[in-house]
Amino acid sequence: MIWRFTLRRLAVGLVQLSVLIVAVFFLIRLLPADPVSRFVGLNASPEAYALAEQSLGLDLPALEQFEVFLFGDDEEVGLVGGELGTSWVTGSSVNQEIRQYLPVTLELITLSFLIAVGLGVPIGVLGAVNPGGAADKGTLIYGLFAGSQPEFSWGIIFIFVFFVVLGIAPGPLGRLSPLTDPPDFVTGAITIDALLAGRVDIFLEALWYLSLPILTLSFVLSGPIIKMVRENVAQTMNADFMFYGQAAGLPRGILARDALRAAFAPALTLIGILFGFMIGGAVLIESIFSISGLGQYAIRSILAFDYPAIQGVVLTISALTLLIYLAIDVCQALLDPRVSV
Amino acid sequence: MRLTKGYDRWVIFFAFALAACGPSQPNDTDSSSVIYITNDVPAGLDYDGAASVIPNSQEGIVNLMDPLIDYAPGETTEEGVGLLNFTSFEGRLAESWSFDEATLTWTFNLRRGVKSCVGNELTADDVIYTFARAKSVSGPSPTGWFLANVASIESFDATVLADENLRGLGDEVKKIDDYTVEIRQSTHNQLFLPALTTFAIRIFDSVEARKHATPSDPWSHDYINNVTAPAFGPYCVERWEKGNEFVLRANPQYYRGVPEIDRVVFKKVPQSSNRFIILRMEQADITKGLTPREFKKLREYDQLQVVGVTGNETLFVHMNFDSPPFDQVKVRQAVAAALPYNWIIKNGYIGQAQIWDGLVPSSYPGGKSTFHDSPEGLDVARQLLAEAGYPEGRGLEVYEDALRLSYPIEKEAILGPIATAIRTALRDIGMPVELDPIPLTQYGDRQLVKKDLPFALVDHEKAIVVDAGYAVQLFFVSSEAGAVNNMVNYRNSRVDDLWTEARAERDSERRYNLVSEIYDYLRDDVVWLPVVEYRTQWATRKGLKGFVWYPDNGIRFADLSYAR
Amino acid sequence: MTDVAVEKDQDSLGVLAWIGIGIVSVAIFLAVFSPWLIPYDPTQATENVSTPPPPLSAWPSLFWQTIVGDGPTPHWFGTDASGLDVFSRTIEATRTDLIIALSANIVSVIIGVSLGVISGYFRNIWTETLLRTSDLLQSFPVFITAMILVALAGRSWVNIVLAMSFLYAPIYLRLTRTEVLALRDRSFIEAARALGKTEFGIARQHILPNAIGPSLIQFSVTIGFAILLTAGLSFVGAGVRPPTPEWGSMIATGATQLVLGDWWPSLFPGIAISVTVFGFAVCGHILEKRYGR
Repeated sequence: MIWRFTLRRLAVGLVQLSVLIVAVFFLIRLLPADPVSRFVGLNASPEAYALAEQSLGLDLPALEQFEVFLFGDDEEVGLVGGELGTSWVTGSSVNQEIRQYLPVTLELITLSFLIAVGLGVPIGVLGAVNPGGAADKGTLIYGLFAGSQPEFSWGIIFIFVFFVVLGIAPGPLGRLSPLTDPPDFVTGAITIDALLAGRVDIFLEALWYLSLPILTLSFVLSGPIIKMVRENVAQTMNADFMFYGQAAGLPRGILARDALRAAFAPALTLIGILFGFMIGGAVLIESIFSISGLGQYAIRSILAFDYPAIQGVVLTISALTLLIYLAIDVCQALLDPRVSV
Repeated sequence: MRLTKGYDRWVIFFAFALAACGPSQPNDTDSSSVIYITNDVPAGLDYDGAASVIPNSQEGIVNLMDPLIDYAPGETTEEGVGLLNFTSFEGRLAESWSFDEATLTWTFNLRRGVKSCVGNELTADDVIYTFARAKSVSGPSPTGWFLANVASIESFDATVLADENLRGLGDEVKKIDDYTVEIRQSTHNQLFLPALTTFAIRIFDSVEARKHATPSDPWSHDYINNVTAPAFGPYCVERWEKGNEFVLRANPQYYRGVPEIDRVVFKKVPQSSNRFIILRMEQADITKGLTPREFKKLREYDQLQVVGVTGNETLFVHMNFDSPPFDQVKVRQAVAAALPYNWIIKNGYIGQAQIWDGLVPSSYPGGKSTFHDSPEGLDVARQLLAEAGYPEGRGLEVYEDALRLSYPIEKEAILGPIATAIRTALRDIGMPVELDPIPLTQYGDRQLVKKDLPFALVDHEKAIVVDAGYAVQLFFVSSEAGAVNNMVNYRNSRVDDLWTEARAERDSERRYNLVSEIYDYLRDDVVWLPVVEYRTQWATRKGLKGFVWYPDNGIRFADLSYAR
Repeated sequence: MTDVAVEKDQDSLGVLAWIGIGIVSVAIFLAVFSPWLIPYDPTQATENVSTPPPPLSAWPSLFWQTIVGDGPTPHWFGTDASGLDVFSRTIEATRTDLIIALSANIVSVIIGVSLGVISGYFRNIWTETLLRTSDLLQSFPVFITAMILVALAGRSWVNIVLAMSFLYAPIYLRLTRTEVLALRDRSFIEAARALGKTEFGIARQHILPNAIGPSLIQFSVTIGFAILLTAGLSFVGAGVRPPTPEWGSMIATGATQLVLGDWWPSLFPGIAISVTVFGFAVCGHILEKRYGR
């Protein structure tokens, strides 16, 4: 049953991905600027222009370009072979660049989620177990407020207050001090790589340098998480089985734990969706804190009209998001078999 | 869940523990290492690669590769910035050179015992390799070929681009012996030596470069673009993470003496305000590209210094001759009269700029400086606009699209306020101007290739070859006469003729007069509207000295030292 | 069984509800009447660049002077690096941001709800495709896609609205469809069918009014998101054209002044956006509590 559901869901996902590939490819080719200009640079003579156009493969008709993108040419293997092409700005392979930038973003948002969930769940439960109390009101207001804040605005405020005025936080210098040699590239997430290399000092330094962006992100993310936990727990606390438990004289702590377990499925969905959203949504935080993640790469590529890189970023993020949605659906089907019907 | 919570507590504990220690670690710099924070690190090191149009990439190239010759040092400013003497050259990789007028042949005698980063010795083969590579036009942006073409090196002409069979190096660049090379020009051209000093046609270590060639990439573009440019310069690449960090280590065998600054860490910090605070907190040594207000503020701190020079960075207004109403000279003059020059200098550049009174940077030899002699002011502008047939701006509504003032969005922090002030002034005389910031790439496409940008504010265009005539050839002769960057579509056959004459002129005095006459036309026709020359500035920690200004505005870290 | 909690919630919501409604009303008031409220042209550069706001202690007397018309109107919130009055811009920006957010939501509601009714009521291969396409749109990275769309179409508020509608319509489609699925087999629909009404007529007259509820609740929440997205786009330079007053671009340009010690050009628009979006979030929450479920 669950296998059939998963397979069907996977098939739909693959179709979606193919549509996505076509859409992204042709959408980008509607961009108003011709990327060839940046190659000719100093020398915009017609001959130089033609040469540059040829070297980018942009002299071919769009359909043939698409064919090259999919199946490659004599130099590259194309998307079917797992290659996203070569960036026009740096001349490096887009695969390699995404391999470098994606873990940076994933690391940042995973750490932020850990904090947001770690703080949000207990606070939300605290609000729910005393409905109507001061703690509940406070939780509700905090949840609504944090969930509706512009993270870029708060990032700037945090830098100003903690780094400039108080001087107790690191500057917006990315993930490490520029003087520190980063550990060998294994996963790309600097905290993990540092631990793999046995360098606890670098691990701690990375946490220290990431503390402000994580603070900002987890502040904004904690809003919806707290609000959702509070509501779901409150709801399950009022469910029949809880009344039974109460009547049977079970302690409140145990009741709250049971309620939390019941509230787990919707929580998983929300966190999954938020996480998928943040992979592409960490753009502003990355640019404020000089973190070279996928978002920064996306902005750079869009501003430079670097087609292969834009395609690569959009495809990667969308594919990841689709994968997360799929995982959520499958998990829910496991938790509640009615879904898969 | 419980596990997660425990982990969190741990993280928070450490965050606080570290906070208690304070941000002390990054301060322990030793004087032989500097951190240079910049808006981006080099994106590629191949001057024939796509990335070479980005100034950050050029800055990487000039620290890794040396040219055959360079300008001799000139005066030093009060702030201690060294200038170059643009009329005198001295040897770098070439020890000496001579020119034979009759055959238009230059002979270069190479320096002996010059060692590259990997220890190979410089020979004539390296020079031959460099020119052959340039002529192969195998990179997507063949800048080496282009500058050889500007220098009139024989057979480095446009036919090379069109015909694959003409891309082999003939005897125009010839090895005489291991330490002697001859280069022949097709015609007399005074741009030859200036072109050799630029970031392109710097000499490769051919032995090392060849090692990384592949059948599909015989000129090692991949390696040079992504790993390092093997060469004989003062620094070698130690680590490079594109879009993040670029680390240089001094070449221990550098022929001009090992640089005092042993290690340079280029760190990308995209926001200028972030670069400002990082320097203010003394967590880095050098930065540039701050806004004028940020530079001014940094001057207030005792531990820091700001040095600068009026070099070749300028601001001008571009009005396209093919986009009405800018085809009318009176409209262009009205704009010239209406611009809030004082506001721009005082509030836009915080005094770190001066009126640009010509179309050649005042630090360059040659060129006119009488561009703002006619009367200016809003009343004059209204009068001119009425004479053009648009009293109070009536009739300009139909040109809504042309009256959009564009500027590169990447420059918003500096150009935004200036554009707003210009918009206010022009609206005051009745021109319904709107602002339209666009990405630099789109800007370049419309300015250089399509040439359809009607109205723009330009502050990044500079002639890297130091010569008043080079700017004429690049920007002002008609496209038919060979200008590659005539962005305003200016066509004046008299200017074309004068330049043809000046280009081949051997006598410097007569050439100067011809070029001056061209600039008279450019002034009277308001081809470009020069606004201000602004200072190129660097902010550093106190004690760092030895800055020398080069026309590409890249810092040569080998010039610097820490006085402690 | 959930009634107990809801009632308790409403009690605790009393003050909060009024705060939310108050914020939203003030924002709408400012957006409508801003041209009559602002003392300075919000796009005109002046010589008074980067002047700080007057100290709070001076406000009462300055306020009195303004009322009696004695001397120039003070720059209550100071001026920015172009000499623009931050107070006038902050107020005028309410109009820019609300118009964009409202229009984007109205367009997405119209598209999303009608497609939602169709895809929920008529179930065939086409509506299935529609549904999967809208899922696909939701998997696009919102921010990056919006940047690309604005780069494609140019920086005007109409294009920003269209880009956002494109991204928000799937949310409404989903919500409506879920509701329609629950409704279509209900007895009153059967009754209508028995009365011989056309399928289209039923969808329009009976399904639509009953299925639109969740979308209207969502509306208030999504307006907040739309304001944040508009501001975020401006922050990276893909929003409305300068010098149009807009909170995000004011914060972005103001942020560069912040490090110089000029806190006012970014603080006031920052407060404005925080408070406004909070107001809409509270209203959304209240609507949800009152009419949801």
